Amino acid sequence: MASDPTGTLGDSGPSSPALAKIRITGLGKTFQAGKQAVQAIAGIDLDVQPGEFICIVGPSGCGKTTLLRILAELEAPTEGEVTIARSDLSTPLSSMIFQESSIFPWMSIRKNVAYGLVLRGAPAAEIEKSVDHFLALTGLDRFADAYPHQLSGGMKQRASVARAFANNPEILLMDEPFAALDEQNKALLQEELLRIWSETRKTVIFITHSIDEALVLSDRVLVMSRRPGRLKAEFKIDFPRPRKVYDLKADPEFGRISREIWMLLREEVVGA
Amino acid sequence: MTVVARSFVRITAEKRTGPTILEQMSRSPLLMAILSPLAILAVWEILARAQVLDTRFFPTPSSVIVDLFALLRAGQIFVDAGWTIGRVMVGFVLGAIPGVVMGVLLGLSPFVRALLQPAISALYPVPKIALFPLIMMIFGIGEASKWVIVAVAVFFQVFYSTLAGVVNIDRIYLDVASNFKASRWQLCRTIALPGALPFIFTGCQLGLGMALVIVVIAENFGTQVGLGYLIWQSWQVFEVKDMFVYLLLVSLLGYGLQVAILRLQSAVIPWKKVEAD
Repeated sequence: MASDPTGTLGDSGPSSPALAKIRITGLGKTFQAGKQAVQAIAGIDLDVQPGEFICIVGPSGCGKTTLLRILAELEAPTEGEVTIARSDLSTPLSSMIFQESSIFPWMSIRKNVAYGLVLRGAPAAEIEKSVDHFLALTGLDRFADAYPHQLSGGMKQRASVARAFANNPEILLMDEPFAALDEQNKALLQEELLRIWSETRKTVIFITHSIDEALVLSDRVLVMSRRPGRLKAEFKIDFPRPRKVYDLKADPEFGRISREIWMLLREEVVGA
Repeated sequence: MTVVARSFVRITAEKRTGPTILEQMSRSPLLMAILSPLAILAVWEILARAQVLDTRFFPTPSSVIVDLFALLRAGQIFVDAGWTIGRVMVGFVLGAIPGVVMGVLLGLSPFVRALLQPAISALYPVPKIALFPLIMMIFGIGEASKWVIVAVAVFFQVFYSTLAGVVNIDRIYLDVASNFKASRWQLCRTIALPGALPFIFTGCQLGLGMALVIVVIAENFGTQVGLGYLIWQSWQVFEVKDMFVYLLLVSLLGYGLQVAILRLQSAVIPWKKVEAD
């Protein structure tokens, strides 16, 4: 991943990249599994604007997670590059929220949420303030000193969300964070996420296999093809904010876009 | 439609009768646990008194208990037990700390693992006590050689458990730490060490048991104190009753150490329920 420690790229780039928070060009990743090469994603071009909420939907195994892991610097691309414009060098670049429960079982909820801040040696007062704030926003204040094994799956994912936001990154990367939750918890967490997001206006890239979830949350939905994953189509989502999950689902426009995306995805799933 | 009934199955409320004696007994784990040892001791006592058992080798349990109280009153036995405990503890710490450090190091780094694990694995099958003569040559016959032989035995137990613990940590926690830009040292302290802690405790438990075995054998050499020394000593002078007392004390000591480490474990690992027995 290209990094730009001076942060000047935004001013001097050729095609005014000042507009793009994240610029992905010709990105590809090929995994070497023994003698076999598996191309996970190929030729991905994408500009993400600052403060934009992007959802990526695609069939299973299309490389969505690989794309996210590259953005999180957990994986290096084999082709192309990503340029991320940093606006604040004192805060971390990105935090990732994983699909499965990823909060540490050996730390209390409070310590989990504080993790990023503690690692970079933030002052104790700042840590406490920020942790309390996000515990309250995610409704976990009463469970601050509980351990994860005492919490339900929904509450554990809330803690992951709180941990990522408390870290105060410029970009949030979310990999199907609510996929394992039941419908009611999912709707609640989606609304909570939107509320926290509207407060912080982070740039979010959110991966999901649920078209409804993508429409509820995002400003823009990107549809990925089957493996090797490419960006196949994009939809601007203009529903006014703040959004209420079930009000939105009753909107006829919602049904129309949802169906259109499904038809696109269907080709990919059936064709696979 | 008519129901054709050839017979009926009836499901009714359970009749409430009091628990039987056996059911009552099985509710007290302590009672159940001491029942069979007590029975064996009783049979032993009877057979010894009836001269079926040779009391030169198997003195009656009652006479051993009398001897136990005599030795406890004399007091010297506490000094000996103290020496044995001291040797176990010093050797344990000397072995467990490098065991944990190496386990974490090899667990986190495939490179270090590939480099060092073959050598460690090659040494592991050597019976530790077989190294004792060599260790006595190097460290002398005093305390140091006893600590070292215990440390060597404990090291392997703790090392392998820690390594397994670190390797078994769910990858996702390492990904999270890496996404949060944890340094090498932060990764060890916040992920590898706590993540492997349940395994580390298992290793310590096995290591402590091993340490006691080694100390008791090692106390045959170059010392005049310790429960192991007393056992060897009572063999040489044919004091079988004393020997049984020392054997009893060594096993009580071993049990005490196991209980202590389980207690410590539940205090240190609040996120996991530990079965203490």
